[in-house]
Amino acid sequence: MSVMQNNSEKAKWYLPGILGGLWITGKHLVKNLLNRNKMMTLNYPEEKYEYSPRFKGNHVLTVKKDGSLRCTACMLCATNCPAECITITAAEHNNPEVEKFPISYEIDILRCVFCGFCEEACPVDAIRLGPEWQTPALNGSNFIYDINHLAFRPNLKGGIQTHVDDEERHKQGI
Amino acid sequence: MPKCTINGKEVEVKEGSSIIEAMQVSGDRIAHYCWHPGLSVAGVCRVCMVEIEGNPRVQIACNTAVTEGMKINNTSDKVKDAVKWGLDFHLINHPLDCPICDQAGECGLQDQYMEYGKYDPEMAEPKQKKHKVVDLGPTIVLDSERCILCSRCVRFTEEVSKTNELGIFNRGDRSEIGTHDGMKLDNNYSLNTVDICPVGALTSKDFRFRQRAWYLKDAETICNGCSTGCNVKVYFNKEGFFRVKPTFNEQVNGHWMCDEGRNVYKFVNKEHRLLKAQVKGQGSSWTEMSAGAAAKAAAEVIKAAAADSLALVLTAQYSVEEFEAIVTTFVKDFKSNKIYFWINNKEAFDNFDGLLVRGDKNPNTKGLLKVLEKHGITATWNELSRGLKSGAIKTVVVAAPENQVVFPDFADRVKELSQAQNLIWLQSGQNEALKKLDGNVWLIPMKTFVEKDGTFINHSGLEQKFKKVTLVVSEALTLTEAALLLAGKNLNIHATSANEFLPLNQRLDQVAVEARKKNEFVFKRGNL
Ligand code: SF4
Ligand code: SF4
Ligand code: SF4
Ligand code: SF4
Ligand code: FES
Repeated sequence: MSVMQNNSEKAKWYLPGILGGLWITGKHLVKNLLNRNKMMTLNYPEEKYEYSPRFKGNHVLTVKKDGSLRCTACMLCATNCPAECITITAAEHNNPEVEKFPISYEIDILRCVFCGFCEEACPVDAIRLGPEWQTPALNGSNFIYDINHLAFRPNLKGGIQTHVDDEERHKQGI
Repeated sequence: MPKCTINGKEVEVKEGSSIIEAMQVSGDRIAHYCWHPGLSVAGVCRVCMVEIEGNPRVQIACNTAVTEGMKINNTSDKVKDAVKWGLDFHLINHPLDCPICDQAGECGLQDQYMEYGKYDPEMAEPKQKKHKVVDLGPTIVLDSERCILCSRCVRFTEEVSKTNELGIFNRGDRSEIGTHDGMKLDNNYSLNTVDICPVGALTSKDFRFRQRAWYLKDAETICNGCSTGCNVKVYFNKEGFFRVKPTFNEQVNGHWMCDEGRNVYKFVNKEHRLLKAQVKGQGSSWTEMSAGAAAKAAAEVIKAAAADSLALVLTAQYSVEEFEAIVTTFVKDFKSNKIYFWINNKEAFDNFDGLLVRGDKNPNTKGLLKVLEKHGITATWNELSRGLKSGAIKTVVVAAPENQVVFPDFADRVKELSQAQNLIWLQSGQNEALKKLDGNVWLIPMKTFVEKDGTFINHSGLEQKFKKVTLVVSEALTLTEAALLLAGKNLNIHATSANEFLPLNQRLDQVAVEARKKNEFVFKRGNL
């Protein structure tokens, strides 16, 4: 490895820069001490910051009216995903109107970059990025989210319904 | 030999060929759904429109013969307009469920409507509902909504398989493909209809929903299902092989292949393969070894064995080069002439169904016979049986079959050969019968036909070379490598232009961006 050394005259004048930085820190320290309720920091985890409702956090798989998965296992999200973190196994459904559905749908959330491309690729609004983001876990395997977690985790209260409805579509003849 | 001009290029074609055939010769792109080079002309899809100088209207290319001096054009706005509205008629009742359609990614209709931007049909009326997920037979599922009634499949069962199961029923926009009363689409060539269906109306049960087409790579090879040696493409990705489709070779298989041959991808996949060598002594349990180490250990035994107690059993499932290598090793290095041909189903060897399938279920019987003849080997299986019984033959090397399905006598032969004191068993796949073997056994994993270069000689004596597709079990050996190791030699890897390192963007086989931009699939539709 080669180390670049800056030996110019100008480089010797580092002290004013450091002092300038310290001055700003000190300024904020004094300000915060005098005016504590305007402080920028939060006492996490007791206090939490409210994100915008459009925040892209952990994924949600939406469900149909009858509570089954909306996803048709078309794999467009998996194809579009730049992090290659979606794994889907498709299977034949007993109902010919549904035809194809995922028997397994897994997102490796540690690899996900929360770009939202999966949401955009989905033709049937089956996957959305939800507002959750604080999801700690004890080991790596807990970060691979399966259908159970993505669609039916407790805080989704039985699943999120899509506005795309098959029955209505079929009635309209699309 | 009439001459014509296609899009400004002069082309000379055979007497009586149609414009679409001329365009295949000249390499011009033309959309076509109902025309297929292996079938008769129907002229029903109306998307192969061309403009001919002197004719007031556009005409279909597939049913118009080329005449001397014809000036043909299919890039004008008039033609494009005609194709666009023809396409719109196809889309009136088409469900456009590409997301769940297996054909998406290699669909002629999808490519065309994407090109012309016809994402939605311009009809006010609701779409005509038809049957979905219709079970046509043991291999095929039909979705009549997606069908564009090109009649390729009907013509296939009429003209090629001559089984006449399929027909078009009802009239007008209620027309549907179906099987005749009480019949199933059940013949040994049924899956060809899936290949020629330009849309996703016919899908193969075996491949259905297992992969999207764009996740698969393809490579050409030779089917090792029987001695016809059809030219095929295998489709694979890092998870394994998923399907086999025929490629055109006039001398061998034309445009088709049989349904049995579509299964040859199965035994090459990892879950059916022997991944490591298994070695075992008398009465002890199996130990795992790497393939090379096991072969070297076996070489010690062969070295200690007397020449006349050493035998080799060959099945006709390996390439000519491999037979040559192992037979030479036996004859020259081990000085043994005890080389036997394991014939799987002798009675059915000469059967032929009149189209492609042959009773000889080995790809390279001719090749093996040629090599044996060259070395003057005439030993018969009876001699081996006697030798094993009397204990004269103590050490046997077996080049066992890849495709075990076509070896109904497998278990019996294993039993017979297990009489030998030392059994060196070279095989690619797992088998229960082998697990039960007792005595000194070396079970060494072999590569399959998709993992090596080689030559097969088919029933008519035609030599067909095939190239390595990919590696499934990287540590497995080819018979050539096994022969070297068994003779106590080392494997050397020579740097050739094929395996020397090259940056990815400099490799010759890289697909140039320009080529990718072209809509390759529509262009190739006809010779699938
Ligand atoms: S948000 Fe982006 S990275 Fe994450 S799963 Fe979706 S497409 Fe992949
Ligand atoms: S989530 Fe949407 S894009 Fe992904 S497989 Fe399911 S239907 Fe297709
Ligand atoms: S047949 Fe082609 S256009 Fe129709 S749904 Fe399937 S992929 Fe899409
Ligand atoms: S099923 Fe396919 S091949 Fe048969 S008529 Fe319909 S589109 Fe053509
Ligand atoms: S009408 Fe010519 S290809 Fe269908």
